[in-house]
Amino acid sequence: MSSFKESEGLRIVNTWMAEKGQAPFQFQMQTWQRHGNGYSGMVVAPTGFGKTFSVFLAVVIDYLNHPEKYKKGLKLLWISPLRSLAKDLAKAMTEAIDEIGLDWSVQVRNGDTPTAKRRRQERLMPDVLLTTPETMHLLFSQKKNSRWFKALKCVAIDEWHELLGNKRGVLTELAISQLRHYSPRLQIWGITATIGNLQEAKDVLLPYSDLKITQITAKQKKKLDIISVLPDEIEVLPWAGHLGAKMADKILPIIAANTTTLIFTNTRGQAELWYQVLLNAQPDLAGLLAIHHGSIDKKLRNWIEDNIASGYLKAVVCTSSLDLGVDFKPVDCVIQIGSVKGIARFMQRAGRSGHSPFERSKIYFVPTHSLELVEVSALKKAVKDKQMESRDPMVLTFDVLVQFMVTLAVGEGFKADALFHRIRQVHAFQYITSDDWQWCLHFITKGGKTLHSYEEFHKVILDEGDIYRVKSRRISMLHRMNIGAIVSEAHMMVKFFSGGYIGMIEEFFISKLKPGDSFILAGRVLELVQIKDMTVLVKRSKAKKAVSPSWLGGRLPLTSNLSHYLRLQLSHALEPGRLEKELRFLNPLVSRQEAHSHIPKADEFLVELIETRDGHHLFMYPFEGRLVHEVFSALMAYRISKIKPMTFTIAMNDYGFELLSDQTIPVDESNIKTLLSETHLMDDVIASINASEMASRKFRDIAVIAGLVVQSQPGTRKNNKSLQSSSGLIFRVLEDYEPDNLLLRQAYTEVFNQQLEEARLQQAFQRISKSKIVVKSAKSFTPLSFPLKVDSLRGTMSNESLDKRIQRIKAQSFKID
Amino acid sequence: MNIITEHIIVKEEELNLTNQRAVYYDRLRALILSDVHIGKTAHFRRHGIPVPDHILQKDLERLKFLIEYFKVKTVYVVGDLFHAETNSNMKTFKMWLSQFKDLKMILIKGNHDRQSPHLTENLNIKVEPSLQLGPFNLIHEPVEKPSKLFTVSGHTHPGVIIKGRGKQKLKLPCYQLTSHQLILPAFSLFTGLNTRTMPKDAKCFGFTETSIFKI
Repeated sequence: MSSFKESEGLRIVNTWMAEKGQAPFQFQMQTWQRHGNGYSGMVVAPTGFGKTFSVFLAVVIDYLNHPEKYKKGLKLLWISPLRSLAKDLAKAMTEAIDEIGLDWSVQVRNGDTPTAKRRRQERLMPDVLLTTPETMHLLFSQKKNSRWFKALKCVAIDEWHELLGNKRGVLTELAISQLRHYSPRLQIWGITATIGNLQEAKDVLLPYSDLKITQITAKQKKKLDIISVLPDEIEVLPWAGHLGAKMADKILPIIAANTTTLIFTNTRGQAELWYQVLLNAQPDLAGLLAIHHGSIDKKLRNWIEDNIASGYLKAVVCTSSLDLGVDFKPVDCVIQIGSVKGIARFMQRAGRSGHSPFERSKIYFVPTHSLELVEVSALKKAVKDKQMESRDPMVLTFDVLVQFMVTLAVGEGFKADALFHRIRQVHAFQYITSDDWQWCLHFITKGGKTLHSYEEFHKVILDEGDIYRVKSRRISMLHRMNIGAIVSEAHMMVKFFSGGYIGMIEEFFISKLKPGDSFILAGRVLELVQIKDMTVLVKRSKAKKAVSPSWLGGRLPLTSNLSHYLRLQLSHALEPGRLEKELRFLNPLVSRQEAHSHIPKADEFLVELIETRDGHHLFMYPFEGRLVHEVFSALMAYRISKIKPMTFTIAMNDYGFELLSDQTIPVDESNIKTLLSETHLMDDVIASINASEMASRKFRDIAVIAGLVVQSQPGTRKNNKSLQSSSGLIFRVLEDYEPDNLLLRQAYTEVFNQQLEEARLQQAFQRISKSKIVVKSAKSFTPLSFPLKVDSLRGTMSNESLDKRIQRIKAQSFKID
Repeated sequence: MNIITEHIIVKEEELNLTNQRAVYYDRLRALILSDVHIGKTAHFRRHGIPVPDHILQKDLERLKFLIEYFKVKTVYVVGDLFHAETNSNMKTFKMWLSQFKDLKMILIKGNHDRQSPHLTENLNIKVEPSLQLGPFNLIHEPVEKPSKLFTVSGHTHPGVIIKGRGKQKLKLPCYQLTSHQLILPAFSLFTGLNTRTMPKDAKCFGFTETSIFKI
């Protein structure tokens, strides 16, 4: 190995670093050396320790040492999940290259790249290209795309933990497989933050047996301060809801005391609200306070990002849009508003402050309702115990596979056997059968089993030389528009009547407004003028009051790691330790809960029965996260309705769930043990959930990814109106006529793996069966139940027939919406 | 298949709203319906989206059942009989149509009915921009302001959400009736429901496979 240590390349890079007063971290040195020796692998390092430079400089050093091995054109491909990362990374890389004295060009290519620049890149690829998984697939859909990748030496997957566990991860796996096909000696490097299943993360990224594989873990640890912001008195906190507006007075001094503060909220709607609240509380922040989220126009976002980096902005209210990697040096403080739902996510947000290696990260937690204080307390304990969540990779996602097959058919075309051989090496498809593969081929050529007789269906055709291709230009175009695995709600562009974009808004929200109504976007109060060609035309509004938009996505469930700690902390909330200031503060509320109902101890399970004007409520608190509660509640509804047929509406949050009925709920101490028993658990679950309904919801994304539903493009004149249909409609058609359709099967599998979280549910029931069950009746809502009443997602569960339900609603007199 | 009807009296004429998405006008032995969207499944397939023809078959079977049940003489389609270009679905439709010897079919042109006139000539369907039928004016799109004649239209694919105690919600297709117009549900099952365009003071008649009722 000494040869590498003495190599010219390393010497040059070391000198360059030394000039900047830096020395490489040990993990960087290791990466450089292993890369030089032909390894692929995964680098595990916290943000802010130069993980980018571990892999990037490894390629630079190798080039300096062996320029003869590199040809003209693309050398390093850098794939990262977020577009916003690319710009800053490119800047940092270009700077390094210039200073080291290489003549490489570094360029970005993603959805924001202008067409002219893309055409230029297609004529001559840069030496380093920064891109996203979706853009990679778009490149594969171009004619003669293989020529761009023939000279490629290395592909780096940045923030791999963000991709693993969703379908974009599968897109990435497939992209790597295709790149290996074009450039067989390619070295592959993943970069990830610490997660619970690092070994698996590595196996998913690098399933290839011909590679030399290594894992390099940084020893550096980020120092972290968690400070909870408490109101003056407990009544100040609303019991639940989005806003602790009065907390603004507590946030302003924090902003004042720091150079630049990032204020994280959980949803775009909340971000808009808090932006208004802070500006109202301190109007002279105007111009120094900005708002940043995924629905804001990209030019504005870029401007904001630049101004964070230059330190001009004092504070930015943002969502997960600023979660990842960008190096904002001036940021020295992070404020989290509301629950953060997971330990890893919390750490990541905290890491946005004090970005350089030896600074401490500082994160303030502002609760939006009282129970969240228990969560901070739980977070502190979990961080101390270093309990990170795992990200489970997705497998057999046929929607992504058929999309990829059509992508290749639009591009250079493919041969079936050769592609099947490659696909089986990809982690996500290692268990694909020949039958499955045949079905996929059939699906893209004939539209599925039942469609063989229709002559007008020509998506992919088997061309001369046994190559599968797409020949229709229109189908190619429709397909390119549909590439990707992020399915969003239908969005509309928001534009001033006089010109100028403001951002995007969900169609379902805007559809509730009439011309003349006011709403808030990007911190501005806007008046709706008209809707035209999927574009919302607005003008500035003078209205004082306006609706804040809500976006459907972005509600994450509590992770099981965090919920474990939450139960633990709540159970001893009545007697908090000396240093647990959150729990001490919460004591009056906890005492109230104890007085009116009960605080469940670690070995107890609480059930509350409450009657109000709305009807009869049953509350249970498993603290298992929203998804598990969805199944849990349906199961309870099913078991109760076996005692007496009835219809419930169900509400749930991360702490518990509510069953609400217009009739008395027959639950008491005599039957509660049976209702919560472990016996026949999964049988009852399957009987209780409307699996078809759940699968139909999952099918929405699948249908879009597999190209069964054409999404309308915001802002475009051509919205393919004659091709509009809902995935629900197609789901029903397939259920009726092609029940063994693989995409249908996938929808059901996704329901069982993700929605039902079978393992977690089983564990919960085991725990409950060992617990003491406490049933309490209360006259009014308790501190635990109130948040469920006001801030939750609702669904309906019924075992009565449709007509019977209508009859009963009728008897209560109809209300029309 | 169950045909359940709700009788309403409009302009002193008796109309039967059926739960099978069509209105039967007994005095004229006429069936009035809207938004059949023939050609939609083939149109989807032509654009690479696999949808089988079973949906069309089911729609046509239902129409046949209605025609035979009421012994209908004339079918009035108030727009969107067809979906897009002339395609293989039209052949299916022509075959289906040929089984009725004395049935008259009249189409009030809808926004989707932009095919060449040869198609309707060939099928022996008369096409009108709008049509007066007794006291009614048949037209495709609902009118915004009250007109002299009572209008019967379609176009919007109306649906209704009903709410009960305990925050229950149900979404059903419906007929919308006001003092000056009747809006029909879409006949084809391969259509969505629109719960947003509710005319002022509209009474809704929602229906299921086994019932129809005023809301």
